[in-house]
Amino acid sequence: MLTVTSLNKTFRTPAGDVAAVSDVSFSTKPGEMIAIVGASGSGKSTLLSLLGLLETPDKGSIKVDDVELAGLDAKGRTAYRARKVGFVFQQFNLIPNLSALENVMLPLEFARWSVSDREIRAREVLNTVGLGDDKVLRRPARLSGGEQQRVAIARALVTDPELILADEPTGNLDRKTGERIIALLREAAGQEKRTVVVVTHDEKIAKAADRRLEIEDGVLREIA
Amino acid sequence: MGSIKRGVRNTFRNTIRTVAVVTILAVAIALSISMLIARGAVSAKIASVRDSTGTTITVSPKGFFGFQGGGSPLSASTVTSLLSLPHVAALQETLNQELSSANTSLIAATPTGQLGQQFGGGAFTRPIRVVGTNSPGTALVGGAFGGGTEKIVTGTSFSSTSDADVAILGTNLASANQLVVGSTFTAWSTNVTVIGIYSAGSTFADNNVVMPLTTVQRLSNQAGEITGATVTVDTLSHVAATTTLISQKLGSAADVTSTAQATQSSLAPLDSVQTISTYTLVGAVVGAGIILLLSMLMIVRERRREIGVLKAIGASTGSIIRQFIAESTTFTVLGSVVGVGVGVLLSSPIASALVSASGGSSPGGGFVRRGGGFPGGFAGGGNGFTPPGGVPTGPFRFGGFGRTLTQLHTSVGWGTLSAAFAIAILVAVVGASVAVASVVRVRPAEVLRSE
Repeated sequence: MLTVTSLNKTFRTPAGDVAAVSDVSFSTKPGEMIAIVGASGSGKSTLLSLLGLLETPDKGSIKVDDVELAGLDAKGRTAYRARKVGFVFQQFNLIPNLSALENVMLPLEFARWSVSDREIRAREVLNTVGLGDDKVLRRPARLSGGEQQRVAIARALVTDPELILADEPTGNLDRKTGERIIALLREAAGQEKRTVVVVTHDEKIAKAADRRLEIEDGVLREIA
Repeated sequence: MGSIKRGVRNTFRNTIRTVAVVTILAVAIALSISMLIARGAVSAKIASVRDSTGTTITVSPKGFFGFQGGGSPLSASTVTSLLSLPHVAALQETLNQELSSANTSLIAATPTGQLGQQFGGGAFTRPIRVVGTNSPGTALVGGAFGGGTEKIVTGTSFSSTSDADVAILGTNLASANQLVVGSTFTAWSTNVTVIGIYSAGSTFADNNVVMPLTTVQRLSNQAGEITGATVTVDTLSHVAATTTLISQKLGSAADVTSTAQATQSSLAPLDSVQTISTYTLVGAVVGAGIILLLSMLMIVRERRREIGVLKAIGASTGSIIRQFIAESTTFTVLGSVVGVGVGVLLSSPIASALVSASGGSSPGGGFVRRGGGFPGGFAGGGNGFTPPGGVPTGPFRFGGFGRTLTQLHTSVGWGTLSAAFAIAILVAVVGASVAVASVVRVRPAEVLRSE
């Protein structure tokens, strides 16, 4: 379970301080998919980065299963990202010279899985997201956008994390493919009792979530 | 797949860049290896020449140039007094003379040849050279004529204080005159008995007569006079000081030179080659380091986003650094394989070119005067000679010494290669570490947001 309390993040810019996230508090239940919507520059990606410990908050608390994460050192943050959280990016961000299978095996290496188990697990998850065996050895450039995002989702799921953070996961996909990807994320949340946080400005996708939160100028509010 | 394997694979991500980086590195490494080998060869040559320099000082009459004349004979008693100087271990005195056909029954063993006729002004008959010495058997003629220390092959030698009418003949001279031990020949109208036959290893060296110093002084009416002396000093470190002392003692009457001084001067070009190769080696290593650093900086900056992604999905800073070090090391290993091969092939010509460019090839052929001795070139004859392989220790030597300085033996030992490889890997590790350190601390969110 994810619990965020009074989270703050301010960026210093030449034009002055910008409060990207202001006093944000919310909590989620296992198996819940929440959507954070908002316009560009509203602070939604910053909030996602804070949840994934890619940024350190100025103030506030982030707890996963009652374990405080906000005060972790660099090593602790790395271990958290390797084992407890999975990222899905808008640009897929696959490593171009590695095959789909090797891309999915990467987090297992960082989470210190045994070499013999890595391939078995990666193939299993790729199969779950619907990437056929004939494509797992292809490099990202030889896969379609939808297939690349499936690989990215498989990479996020492969370590069986408690939290999936998806930043505009359908932003680079057509509507139909986007819907399939959202379905996949919903499935990931529901079947394995994970928390999935999706950042999007697409209302249609937001509506597919269990809860919707809107962020504006760093301030978060729940939309009924 | 570990970070090391990923780094090795990344080396081949961009074929054109890989070829370019490996080629440039190979050139720098080849230059480094060439310089390392050349430097080693030059150092070995300098050491071997210095080791064989000996501790002798040559004394000759001021302005004397062997059989070309010049100068006045030295007083034997004055020169003998040098034995009282500190660090002087031995003294060898010589009186060199020529016997023309008018005052000897001997005929030269070597033909005059066309050149000898030209140099002699037409009807030239080669004189017989006589070395009067109080120290027989110490490379009196061997060093002067391209041979080694004369060895008695038949008969015996004479004592240092002998004044008997006896002689040791070179094998060629004895053979040409059909003389054996016990035979006699005339010199300065005196019957001289052959008591030994020597061989010094060269045609001209074995065409001489060696006689007791006192006998030659008596027969040639030069009692108490000598044309040269060789002073042996106890250790190499005392040669310079003793040379100065002898010069001060003999004043303007004599030229005093030491083989150490001459060697030092001859080695000057090699010293400069050693310096050049050292600087070039350092330059090539620094150059390779800079090439690698810039290449890795370019690669690392290009992959900022990828680094951010890797960190986001759980990669530690250490594993990212290891990945780039593996990539940089692979570039270096590939460059080393090509560079070492090319460097080994080029080391010998590069070393020779450096030595030649530094003037190490002079002096050329012919005799080089070293104190009082025979001047070169005028022996005539049709056949040449083989220059000596080392530095002569007698009062005369050939200019072939200078030539041997250019004859560098370049060789590559495992030690050299291991050292070069270790340096290359160190440069690769440092280059990659510096490059990756510039971006590895980047916050992944910052990289991902900027895309």
